[in-house]
Amino acid sequence: MTDFTRRDAFKISAGGLAAVSGMVAMPSILRAATYPSRPINVIVPFATGGYNDRLSRAFMPYLEKELGQPLVIVNKPGAGTQLGNSYALNQPADGYSILCTSAAPYIPLTVLLQNAPYKVEDFSMINLPSRDYTLAATSSDGPVKTFAEVIDKLKKDPSSLSIGVQPASADYANMVLVFQAAGIDASKLRIVTYDGGGPARNATAGAQVDVGFVGGEGFLPLKTKIRPLAIFAAEKVEWYPDAPLIGSTGIKTDFVEGSQRGWAVTTKLRNEQPEIYKTLVAAVEKASKNPKSIETLKLQELATTWYGPEASDKAYLDNAAKMAKYVDLLK
Amino acid sequence: MIDVSAFNEALGIMFTSVGSWGWIVPGLIVGLVFSAIPGISITMAMAIVLPMSLYMDFFSAIVFLTSVYTGAGFGGSVPAILMNIPGSPSSFATTFDGYAMSQKGEHNEALGYALFASTLCGIAGYVLLLLVIEPLADIVLRIGPVEMFAVAIWGMMLLGSLGSTYISRGLLAAAFGILLGTVGMNTAGFTRGTLGLPVLLDGIAPIPAMIGLLAASQLLSLATRDYIIEAEGSREVSLRKILKGCWGTLKYPGVLLRGSIIGIIIGAVPGVGSSIGNLIAYAETKRTAKDSATFGKGNPKGVIAAESAVASGEGGSMATMLALGIPGGGATAILIAAFMMHNIVPGPSFIETQKPMVYAIILNNIVQAIVLLAVGIGFIYVASNIMKVRTRYVLPAILVIATLGTFAVTGEAAGPITLFVFALLGYALNRYQYPVSAVVVGILLGRMLETEFLRSYQLSGGNPLYVLERPGAMAIFAVMFISLAMTAWGKRKQNRAEAAEAEAMLRMQDEASHAHTPSKG
Repeated sequence: MTDFTRRDAFKISAGGLAAVSGMVAMPSILRAATYPSRPINVIVPFATGGYNDRLSRAFMPYLEKELGQPLVIVNKPGAGTQLGNSYALNQPADGYSILCTSAAPYIPLTVLLQNAPYKVEDFSMINLPSRDYTLAATSSDGPVKTFAEVIDKLKKDPSSLSIGVQPASADYANMVLVFQAAGIDASKLRIVTYDGGGPARNATAGAQVDVGFVGGEGFLPLKTKIRPLAIFAAEKVEWYPDAPLIGSTGIKTDFVEGSQRGWAVTTKLRNEQPEIYKTLVAAVEKASKNPKSIETLKLQELATTWYGPEASDKAYLDNAAKMAKYVDLLK
Repeated sequence: MIDVSAFNEALGIMFTSVGSWGWIVPGLIVGLVFSAIPGISITMAMAIVLPMSLYMDFFSAIVFLTSVYTGAGFGGSVPAILMNIPGSPSSFATTFDGYAMSQKGEHNEALGYALFASTLCGIAGYVLLLLVIEPLADIVLRIGPVEMFAVAIWGMMLLGSLGSTYISRGLLAAAFGILLGTVGMNTAGFTRGTLGLPVLLDGIAPIPAMIGLLAASQLLSLATRDYIIEAEGSREVSLRKILKGCWGTLKYPGVLLRGSIIGIIIGAVPGVGSSIGNLIAYAETKRTAKDSATFGKGNPKGVIAAESAVASGEGGSMATMLALGIPGGGATAILIAAFMMHNIVPGPSFIETQKPMVYAIILNNIVQAIVLLAVGIGFIYVASNIMKVRTRYVLPAILVIATLGTFAVTGEAAGPITLFVFALLGYALNRYQYPVSAVVVGILLGRMLETEFLRSYQLSGGNPLYVLERPGAMAIFAVMFISLAMTAWGKRKQNRAEAAEAEAMLRMQDEASHAHTPSKG
């Protein structure tokens, strides 16, 4: 046993040392002409197994093909992506660290609510293929059938229905906005808070709460257990066509788009190394349009739509601006 | 109930994919080794191997990952028994009687008990899963915050059985632990006690904190000895004794059954880890046992109860995952990712369309549990040799491995720093005779207690009568109080009987002395 433990200890420590020395030896400036000449780190500020982790791993082979270098997934979960974001900003702007993350609403939220030591503009989007929207839903065998019914009931008695939602999220903002628009007294509502989309969805599907406001995409595996009441999107959502749009429920309300997930880099890299940035954008574009990658990712319920840097950046900044506008609702 | 034609098809899948069986043994060994390293939990062990499974075909990948899961469920108990340091939080309660047994020179038997309990209850969990997977999943979704709060309270009752010299210090230590467990952002979005450190927003990492608290005091106390066990004769590693322990497990079917039921239910509920099943099963077994006074002093039932809940929890957790696509805990979250990476989305539609595959996965897990018996005996045999090594070599190695374990997984210094801070704290607590284990229980349960209580409050709008609308919660509370009352009643009767006996003895002595006196005089 000693032999084993000691040897094991050496092995682990040797691995750790190699990793550390690798980081130290990393030259900060590399000529763009030879880029990429070594493996590229993909920073995922979430734990193994989440959406971004799966997206990065599924997309990896296609992006590797375009870049001609292997990718290494680095999971840096914690503090609502703040740890991973800070880590990304601390890496040299040499194109060997890129992000695969739920840029919106997490980056704006860490800035607005956690005083994260960076700005929303410190990150530049390459492509955000996955767009999620808040879905108001109820358990499939629940008594409520439509969103109008929810509003009617709550207008009469704000404590008649319980509501499940994740605090400080786009879903929360949307919930407050729609109730404000309907003239419901928010202070008397029975709001149950969940520290993540998953638990809030389980509570909705299991009728723990009467109505849940949660990102809709995660509901897909539980589709048979819930009834969609309203989705907070402007037009019909491709992956959930039978969910009624919030606009069709008769209530005029502003809303925030949900999670926007995909590929990003630091703005420093975009400004200082335009050639490397261009290489990265071209590679992500080609990989996103590769029919094989589209097919593979579709099977795993992952998005590959190519919006491009301008559209993605605009969507991200719009979301950040709206979050800033409604920040008081989130606190 | 079981679908016979799907079951036959499942057997077909099992035998046509014999190649994937080859992954069982490597998976078990990976699981055993990683979880035996203090600082690496079951979830982390699985996260480490997840990327590897991408390169296998679907069934092989699932076989490999579930084997790691099965192996990891047991591995943590090896250092728990041999050194009083749980390899992962789910084997915390195993230390109570496991280490006491090994101090008596019964480490071979203790490991045998733990292994066999783990195997048997692992199988029990999966057999039950095979029968009731769908209804179980539906029940699980109905479990709400009030029920969960009741479960957390139940877990806290373990405190009563920890025993400490001073009740006040025990309670204070538990309160301190709960307070530590609530550091970070709570479920309603309020941030407490983070000292402005972003790493603390998610709370204090329980694994390095636990290792720090327990290992520091333990290693310091071991440092004064030459070997982990002082008596030279008891240091032997004996296959015969290990097997004797295995065999002895069968003498306690009631303990196994109770542990399995607790484990399955706790495991199936999303968001409650197997560490809580481990605590509750131990506490329940101790409270209902006739010889509860010998618990904590090396009663094999304590080891069996604690281990049985961890192993059967795996089956419960898999039920929720397969039937609903919801992770019961961290380990099944990794499994879901593995499913998705192979283009399969677990959930209601998966179980309807792919029933043979579901059965094949369950059957394979039963096979794994059986294989674990053989692999586990080998692992125990090798690991027990640590008893023969001088502590001056063992202790530094453990410290280094534990520190690296807390660092390796995330690659952040936060892990080792937490370990160090809590090691100092553990030393101070020990120095002033505050029970460290009460703090650990607080850390493990604090967050759940707070979260579920808060949600119950939100859901009920502050009306305590809401509990009357939740029959499940009332049932849990009722069972809890009845079992408490019965224990109290039993204790009272026992005390009375003892008092009466003592009185009788006294009277007899009296009479005897009276009888003597005249003859003397």
